[in-house]
Amino acid sequence: MNQKNTVTEQICVPMTVDVPYRFAAGKYMARFLTELRDNGRFVGVKCPSCNRVQMPPRVVCAACHVKNDEWVELSSEGTMVGFTIMYLPLTDPTTGKPHEPPFVYGSVRLDGSDSTVEHMVNVEPDLDKIWVGMRMKVVLRDREERIGDLSDIIHFEPLPGQKRPQ
Amino acid sequence: MKRNVAIIGGGQTYHAARRHDVDQGEMVNEAVRAALKDARMTMDDIDAVFLGNMEFFEGTHLTDCWLAGSAGAYGKPGMKITTGGTVGATIIGAGMHHVAAGLFDKVLCIGFEKQEEGDTGAILSGVAHPLYGRSMAGAAVGYFAMMGTSYMAAWGAKEEHAAMVAVKARQNARKNQYAHLKLDITIEDALNSRMLAYPVRMLDMCPASNGACVVILGDEKTARDRCKKPVWIRAMDTAHNEQFEIDWRNVTLTKPIFSTACAARMYKRLGVDDPKKYFDVFEIYEPATWAEMVWYEDLGLCSRGEGFKLMEEGATAIDGPIPVNPSGGVLSTNCIGASAMLRVWEAALQIRGDAGGHQVPKEVNRALATAYGGTNWTVMTALSSSTED
Repeated sequence: MNQKNTVTEQICVPMTVDVPYRFAAGKYMARFLTELRDNGRFVGVKCPSCNRVQMPPRVVCAACHVKNDEWVELSSEGTMVGFTIMYLPLTDPTTGKPHEPPFVYGSVRLDGSDSTVEHMVNVEPDLDKIWVGMRMKVVLRDREERIGDLSDIIHFEPLPGQKRPQ
Repeated sequence: MKRNVAIIGGGQTYHAARRHDVDQGEMVNEAVRAALKDARMTMDDIDAVFLGNMEFFEGTHLTDCWLAGSAGAYGKPGMKITTGGTVGATIIGAGMHHVAAGLFDKVLCIGFEKQEEGDTGAILSGVAHPLYGRSMAGAAVGYFAMMGTSYMAAWGAKEEHAAMVAVKARQNARKNQYAHLKLDITIEDALNSRMLAYPVRMLDMCPASNGACVVILGDEKTARDRCKKPVWIRAMDTAHNEQFEIDWRNVTLTKPIFSTACAARMYKRLGVDDPKKYFDVFEIYEPATWAEMVWYEDLGLCSRGEGFKLMEEGATAIDGPIPVNPSGGVLSTNCIGASAMLRVWEAALQIRGDAGGHQVPKEVNRALATAYGGTNWTVMTALSSSTED
């Protein structure tokens, strides 16, 4: 028996934890997602106090601590506020499959909303073809393919006829 | 505060990408022993133990129970705290509140992470809403990349400015014996490092580190009786952002957000007019280069949109007028559950004059530490050599 406290072998055990969950979307998110799925529309809620339009809709305006109950329809067009060209094969946590790099994704503020939404952008990974401030539109899956989550959005696509600002 | 509270000791492990030689408890124990030695105490002196790490990063729950022995917590009061990237500072906040309230006189605070034991991206994806955003979640790098493109478009900053932050961090880390990434790099090296997500390159991001930090807090009587160089916690504050609103991607934002709201409240309480003059050194939580420059602005070290100019001027260098992260910061060492505590401990070391190779070359009496975690919230800690502030 080795009496000295010397490490002779380091043991590391691989393990995977796979835990099933059942997640309730709640009243506000469910209405948002069913509008998206059934009618192809984006809806937000407007704060009765500060008039801020929030998407996705939520029960309370965090800034004002008041209940949101006015629903407003938003445009399917908006403006890019930040983007990236991703060179890493990011795993989609909802499918376990990687998004194939390089790909472009970004954060878009839909017209009429104070919030932004993040998704893939259908442009080549080229800095001449994507910029902050670019006008975008949402491209949705066909009605029968939509399931009621953000994967109902295929991607954003630039509105035609735009030139990169110098 | 009802009672003054001081940092009366602390310690940290050497931080590294691989620590297969120890388990979580053995690693935590290294920092606990270092802190007790620094405070010239034993566990018998400690009234309560507060401990935390990132939720489920190591695949184990109830780490307070797992580590009761090696943390020294067995049979003592205390609790586990888990608040994401901010956790190290939140633990100190909880300890500070208990001492200030008079419940305990000597409290041991532990933050740790063995990041190599889990899949950081996979676990962090649980921060995102399952039906709204999770399919794109999985790494902080994309978030900071969007911050970068937004920042460049708004203010005219260049990738070179991010590279300057990358170099400052790693060159400072070379002076810090405990830091993980001690890299002798140049701006060219940073600009030529592998692109991860435009404009964020490998050297723009923090590493995944293993390590632990421990800070011991004491009430005023204990501090004056037992500690040669107590560092006083003069204020702590926290602020959350709201779910779904990731405001830092829109860096021109003028409304108060978590970071500006928290700083404003703390400055008001302390009577701070000009933070860059009031504080002698800053230890901020910057997981990516772009975040450091946004922090400069949010903390009021410069006007909105001028953070990159502050970097360009070298104002925040270790020997500059506003030294920021002389330790090398999170960009050089990110054992997440310990990272926010390391900011506070490194700030305290600067006030004590005990930072060693990365001690800033000027008198340090006051320091500010920030923490930062998803989905966007902060804990800020103001430290001083005096109870008069």
